[in-house]
Amino acid sequence: MRILIVTNLYPPLVIGGYELACSNVAKAMQARGYDVRVLTTWCHLPQTSEMPIWVHRRLDLHWFVPDRPEGTLGERDLHSAICSSYGNTLHLLNSIREFRPDVVSVWNPAGIGGLAMMDLLNQIGVPWTLHLGDRVPIEITETVPRDVLGLFHAQDGSLYERARILSVSQHLLDEIEAVAGITFPHGSDIVAGWADLSDALPHEPYMRGGRARFVAAGGIYPHKGIDLILEASTQLKADNRDFSVDIFGDGDVPRYVDRARSLQVHDRVRFFGPRSQAELVRSYSGYDAFLCPTWERDPFPFAPLEAAGCGTPPIITRNCGTSERLVDGVHCVKIERTVDDLANAMAGVAEGRFDLARIGRAGEQLIRSDFSFDRYLDRIETAFREHARPWRYEAANDPSLPLLAFLKHNLSVSLRFG
Amino acid sequence: MSSVRRVAHLTPAYFSPDSYVGGGERYVDYITQAVQGVGGFEQRVFTVGTADGSFERNGFSFRVLGNESSLTGQVNGFSAALWQELPGFDLVHIHQSLTIFGAYSTAIVRSLRIPSVGTDLGGGENTLMLRGRGIELFDGVISISEYARGLLDKSYSGLHEVLVGPVDTSKFSPDPGSARDRSKVLCVSRVVPHKGIDRVIAALPPGLSLTIVGRVYHEPYYELLRRMADGKNVHFVVDADDEKLLQLYRTSGLFVQASTALDIYGNAVAKSELMGLTTLEAMACGLPAVVSNTGSLPELVPDPRFGLVFSGHDQLCTIFGRYSTGLWPENGAGALARAHVINAHSMDAIGNRLTAFYEHVISDHSKQWTQCGS
Repeated sequence: MRILIVTNLYPPLVIGGYELACSNVAKAMQARGYDVRVLTTWCHLPQTSEMPIWVHRRLDLHWFVPDRPEGTLGERDLHSAICSSYGNTLHLLNSIREFRPDVVSVWNPAGIGGLAMMDLLNQIGVPWTLHLGDRVPIEITETVPRDVLGLFHAQDGSLYERARILSVSQHLLDEIEAVAGITFPHGSDIVAGWADLSDALPHEPYMRGGRARFVAAGGIYPHKGIDLILEASTQLKADNRDFSVDIFGDGDVPRYVDRARSLQVHDRVRFFGPRSQAELVRSYSGYDAFLCPTWERDPFPFAPLEAAGCGTPPIITRNCGTSERLVDGVHCVKIERTVDDLANAMAGVAEGRFDLARIGRAGEQLIRSDFSFDRYLDRIETAFREHARPWRYEAANDPSLPLLAFLKHNLSVSLRFG
Repeated sequence: MSSVRRVAHLTPAYFSPDSYVGGGERYVDYITQAVQGVGGFEQRVFTVGTADGSFERNGFSFRVLGNESSLTGQVNGFSAALWQELPGFDLVHIHQSLTIFGAYSTAIVRSLRIPSVGTDLGGGENTLMLRGRGIELFDGVISISEYARGLLDKSYSGLHEVLVGPVDTSKFSPDPGSARDRSKVLCVSRVVPHKGIDRVIAALPPGLSLTIVGRVYHEPYYELLRRMADGKNVHFVVDADDEKLLQLYRTSGLFVQASTALDIYGNAVAKSELMGLTTLEAMACGLPAVVSNTGSLPELVPDPRFGLVFSGHDQLCTIFGRYSTGLWPENGAGALARAHVINAHSMDAIGNRLTAFYEHVISDHSKQWTQCGS
């Protein structure tokens, strides 16, 4: 089976776990003997290891450029990012012509003109899957004018009718239906994330020396709840709790270092910058709880799953995507996304209100049995196998396809910008 | 042909006071009638309007789709409901193909892989369709004159047919019971500068009268014409209905169509007279015709026995002179004119050629997609 993976970001250029997941799946599918090609965007970062020849960095990235200053995205950039980027559409067409995939696996198409690309897949009739790790259908519906959506058959869920949908959580599907009114009539597979625990160490005793050691890992941004962690830490410090918080990750670190100082918690909360997945997994064994007060609509943060697999109970926003896989009080501690609720849960850890060892063991058992990477990969592989079906490669060679894409692209621009 | 073909006609407006009363809309009406006359085709007309709706007229089914365009102008309307409405049709004929309506509809029809035919009715010159070569997405193009075809030749390389007409020759026919007044010259056109009516008035000699039939769309020009007509035997009929027009066709002696690419105010006019339908209607009623060398008009009068072409004032004066003195045309010119229209431009003639073209397009499309594997 030949699998063409299309995605906006690919390591080393990543925002979070989703891009790493895509990369891991690509590599693992290759290792299982499939012919894999990745079509993704350029990367400006020095690459520490040699990039496999099957990763084709041909696409232009119009949005989601990590670390680009905020506020520089113009309307035309947004159009190219979400709706149509003619060059990228042609690259996809050419990749399909060259590679003749049995299935095209679309991961995150935001930033690369994904609407026109998915429309092209429908034109060609190649089997394709959409791996929903975020609310792409909502982004499309909310940022593209309705008349332009009509050009790509995307005013309702028709765009996705031929795709097999893989979603990281039911929560995400519910959100897409509630906000954009899009349902997937042929159903969807919930393919939650996984935890690679091959580098995990046995958990150290909890609450060593009476101190509660918290850890957080991910993007250092407001929506990930960094402000909540700092403010909850302020409360704990005011209550004379013995605790520490170590935060790993990249993002707006300088601002939060200053914020910790101004809140007088810089002696308890430390920022360590980004670490590799393996380093993080090795470190979790030394912590008593993992803090994940992320925004409610976070589709599926991977890090709390990894922490749970290492025996470090996550304190996690009740209705984020990952929460639907964990049972409150059994595998994790669920909170409302408020400073008080987070502070109360952290205090509960410090006071010994939670049986951390029991929760840690249950979490580890669940993750090792249900959320192994192999199991995750099996589900994706099954979806690919079931959805791949014979299609006529010659359809991609229709010489008028570039012209049709050109007409749609330019008409979309003309309708939107005059 | 073993089964009934389903053909959808897409047009930004339909011929009705509820939508728009123009030549392009009337053309779609005529085309559907011509195809119906051949038989074996089920047709539906899709158009855009302020609200969704359906109605029947003259045995044809019309589907009005709510306009989704934020642009103003009749030919800038469109609807994405075509995605749902068109599957199942064997062919789609897109009228006003060089407009925003045409471009949007073409993108959808081509995506649905339904064989498509495009026709420019003069409503626009959309850059994406012409210079961007969107027109190449059509499986076939019908041009309404050789002149119209020439305008597209640089942009389109596929199947291309020229069909001038159709004319309802049973309606537009001579009336043996009506006497003709040979001194009466008839000019039928909207009162706008590029119709060149001023040129006819200027050349009109004593002894001939001129009746100008058409609605006024340009008041200053109308005023100018009335001043020019002072002292000449010129009549304006600005509110003629179909009956009145037919009666004038049947009682006049000569038809003149004097459209120009450069009007009296010095304005250049693009695509003037893609097809001079009134000239054909007049000829079908047995009138010899004199036309200017503008747009498609010369090709409508291929035989000097019943039609002449002029290029300027002097030539028109000469023709009027020959006509006044009986040097032209010879007897029987009217019958020749009518026979020519019946043979080349009647409902039957156009219907047969158009349906043959549709079949050709459907067949070629099928072969092409078989090769492409769909």
